Amino acid sequence: MLKFPSDEWIKELSKQLNESADYERSAKDWEGDFAFIVEPDEAYPQTAYLYLDLFHGKSPSAGILNSVDEKPAKYTLAAPFSAWRKVIEGKLDPIQGMMTRKLKLQGDMMQIMRYPKAAKEIIACCAKIPTDFDGHHS
Amino acid sequence: MNGYTGKLLHVDLSNHKTWVEDLNLDFAREYIGGSGLAARYLDERIDHQTDPLGSENTLIFMTGPLVGTAMPSAGRYSVCALSPLTGIWGEANSGGFFGPELRFSGYDGIFITGKAEKPTWLSIVEGKVQLHDASGLIGCDTYETQRRVRQMLGDERTRVACIGVAGEKLVKTAAVINDHGRAAARTGMGAVMGAKNLKAIAVRGSAAVQLANAAMFRETVKQIAHRLNDDLAAQAMKLAGTAGYVNMGLMYGDMPIRYFQQGEWEPAENLSGVLMVEQYQNRNTACFRCPIACGRETRAPSYQLEKVDGPEYETVAALGSLLMIDNLETVIMANHLCNLYGMDTISVGCTIALACELSERGILSPADTDGMEIRYGDAETLLRLVEKTARREGFGDVLAEGSASLAERFGVPDLAATVKRLEVPMHDPRAFSGMAAIYALSPRGACHMQGDIYGVDTGQGLAPELGILPGERFDSSQEKGRLAALSQAWRSLYNALILCQFQNPGVDLVLQALNAATGWDYTVEELIPIGKRIVTQKRRINLRRGITRKDDSLPKILLQPLEGGTEGNVPNLEEMLTAAYQEFGWDAQSGIPLL
Repeated sequence: MLKFPSDEWIKELSKQLNESADYERSAKDWEGDFAFIVEPDEAYPQTAYLYLDLFHGKSPSAGILNSVDEKPAKYTLAAPFSAWRKVIEGKLDPIQGMMTRKLKLQGDMMQIMRYPKAAKEIIACCAKIPTDFDGHHS
Repeated sequence: MNGYTGKLLHVDLSNHKTWVEDLNLDFAREYIGGSGLAARYLDERIDHQTDPLGSENTLIFMTGPLVGTAMPSAGRYSVCALSPLTGIWGEANSGGFFGPELRFSGYDGIFITGKAEKPTWLSIVEGKVQLHDASGLIGCDTYETQRRVRQMLGDERTRVACIGVAGEKLVKTAAVINDHGRAAARTGMGAVMGAKNLKAIAVRGSAAVQLANAAMFRETVKQIAHRLNDDLAAQAMKLAGTAGYVNMGLMYGDMPIRYFQQGEWEPAENLSGVLMVEQYQNRNTACFRCPIACGRETRAPSYQLEKVDGPEYETVAALGSLLMIDNLETVIMANHLCNLYGMDTISVGCTIALACELSERGILSPADTDGMEIRYGDAETLLRLVEKTARREGFGDVLAEGSASLAERFGVPDLAATVKRLEVPMHDPRAFSGMAAIYALSPRGACHMQGDIYGVDTGQGLAPELGILPGERFDSSQEKGRLAALSQAWRSLYNALILCQFQNPGVDLVLQALNAATGWDYTVEELIPIGKRIVTQKRRINLRRGITRKDDSLPKILLQPLEGGTEGNVPNLEEMLTAAYQEFGWDAQSGIPLL
């Protein structure tokens, strides 16, 4: 079990993406790294920053950050811990989440609009990670 | 009169008579405007025998209480009549500037009856009504018609709604076109106009729309503008137009491919609205007082097009992926031809795609098609068939009758992707099950503008106060059926106001705008009942035209499971329909309104 959010968890996601042919195909032209911001809520009282580099269908690097400024990313996606959990567990469609502002996206919207399939494959890879949500297992 | 001019213009083309009728305020309060109010009026003017192309059909151009005000994205008008394509209730609406200008010219709506002896055009300038000889305009495309009419009136600010060659030829998928390439496209309203020998309507005026509470209205508009910044769907449309949905539509399996029979096709990514912006867009274009500006002005160098109205999502799919065409320039060109001739891109694309399917199955041969080999993915054939349809030339005369007629003619009615004879738009109900109920219930036949579950289930255009909240997209339970009914009621109210469905500032502000404009005191709880009343009114017209529950169905072609984004989902329509009938207050078995 890998705890979410953690350095191990985001590195495992990076590994899963690098092994996914579906992700590679759907993101073959994608260029841009992400900072995932986990905002505090009742279930998780801290803020966490997860960094995921994505380039041409692969994920060259990943890791936990102390702040978003440590490694400024082209895109940031911020949401409370419980919303992240729903996305990872497949209970919240990320597009629905963004439209309803449960997930707040910053970055080049036009590029995001071209790659919804890549986002779907990232979620599929998340689902493959045995995740420990602070005692709650996925 | 607050929110209305209070005047309806009647034009009897048979007798060259015009007169003004006071707006029935009870009707206005109950049906608001747009297609809602038009349905209430049309109900008294037609019966089960009325010929949609006969002089007795009434063609209604109608605005609503928000049209021509400072309300963002409310610059629309409806065109309604019995449809020659479907034989039942027909409606289409269009943006641009014609609707507001009609109000500024002094009228809420125009009722056109009879048939002119010779081609005619109508002008309404500062309330003054005139009929003119349109013989010199016959054969002109819609852009040229608009240009010449403006020139004849000597005022470049004149707004013109007109038909092209397709309308003149009574092509049953003919549109009414205004403000360059804005189209009131669906259900063949252009053919009704053509049947009346009416080539164009020009409007110009300076009257202001009176508001009951101007200060509150101003404040409401300010709040709407503020909320738009948080509306991601609107922001996306501003950036990439409605075609910005292409990639998402493909991911969900919502964007139809190969006449609704293929779940995935990678080259369709070449039709992306983002690519259109990057490669073929000149600039954004906006309707009257619309901050979203989802319209596109595009170019297609391969076809020597430098500046034409660009295709929106429905067109990109109908003239693109549905036909296995992945070249945006071809789609831009085909869209431009449809605009020039004045035709509905959805119905035209669907009908040509059906011809491709019939050819592939060996049902159609070159002997039936003037020697043409018709096949998927053939740009040249697409463009030739669009032109032949508009002119009713050879096989085009068959295509001009629409998909249902084409399928029947060749003995395969089940192959037509239509509901109540109207071609299915570009949102596959296998991707969002609720759309199955929306299509089956839609009073004008398959329509994505009479309810938008594909939007709701992806978090767009929500109305929590009305119970319109996102759910699981493959759900076809009774709960989804009720949601479909609510969505249809809400969007029917939008089509009455008339407010663009891409403007979703929230129920509270829409209600506040309506009350501030009219001086009424409607509450949130009263909004859905108004929408239901409108849907029920249109259904009563259809029941009189012979529609029964069996017509509230989906074509078999949409009930086959597909691979890809729809993940093999097939909606359970019956389950949803029964619940939707109950939500509307109709008999659960027959679908007949109980009151």
